[in-house]
Amino acid sequence: MRPDPRTLLLIAVVLLAGCATQPVQPWERGRLARWDMRWDPDPLQAAMTQHTYFSKEGTAGEIGAAGGGCGCN
Amino acid sequence: MRWRARLAAAILAAAAVGTALAVEPGAPAPAFRLPALDSHEQVGLADYRGRVVLVDFWASWCGPCRQSLPLYDQLRAGFPATDFAILAINLDEEAADAKAFLREHPVKYTTLQNPQGDIAKAFGLSGMPSSYLIDRDGIVRQRHVGFEPADVDALKREITTLIGQPAHAS
Repeated sequence: MRPDPRTLLLIAVVLLAGCATQPVQPWERGRLARWDMRWDPDPLQAAMTQHTYFSKEGTAGEIGAAGGGCGCN
Repeated sequence: MRWRARLAAAILAAAAVGTALAVEPGAPAPAFRLPALDSHEQVGLADYRGRVVLVDFWASWCGPCRQSLPLYDQLRAGFPATDFAILAINLDEEAADAKAFLREHPVKYTTLQNPQGDIAKAFGLSGMPSSYLIDRDGIVRQRHVGFEPADVDALKREITTLIGQPAHAS
C-alpha cells in the first residue's frame, strides 16, 4: 500500500519543528566567538592579501563589494 | 479541506517551538539560586529583596563586557550597599575563562555562575550582554540588551528613581 502523500507532507512539517528546537542561544556563542572561528584569523594578513590580489588582478573595489555593476561606487 | 487545516496547525506549531518568552518590564523577575564563581556559596535573588538590583548576564567572550564590568563596578560604588546591589551571572561554559577575565577586570560585586544557561533562558535573553533592573519588590523595571558606556548615565538616573520608591509591605 502506498502512503498518502498528504500524510507524508504532514509528517514532514511536524519533523520541521525538530530543526527549530535547537537554535544557538545568545549565551551559547562562546565557541563561535573564538578568534580561530573567524573567516580571517588575522585581519592585517587578510587586508594585505586582498591588497595584493587587487593589484595583481587590476580590479577595483573590494571582494564582495555592494553594487550592481553601475560603476558608481 | 480538513487536511489543510491540520497542515496549517502543524506549521503554526512548528513555528512556535523554540521561541522563548522574554521577561518584560513590569513582570516579576524569575527566582534563581546559583553558586558563586569564587566560592561554593549559593546566592539567590531573594537574598537581595528590598534592594534595587541590577542583574547582569555576561561572558568572557563577549566584547562589550570588557567595558561594562569596570563601569558597573564604579556604578555599584556610587550607591549605598543597603539600597543597590549588582548581581552578575556569568554564562561561560568554563569557570576558568570567567575567573581569568575577572583577574583582568576585577569587580567587587558578586558573580554567580550558570554554565547551563537555564537562568538566561528563564529571563529570555535576546543578546549578550543583557541586564535587568529589578526594583525593591522584585519586579523587572528595565531590560537592556548590549552595552555602550553612555548607557550608564541613564541607568544611574533610573536607579536613583527606583531607590526613592519604598518597597510595598508584603
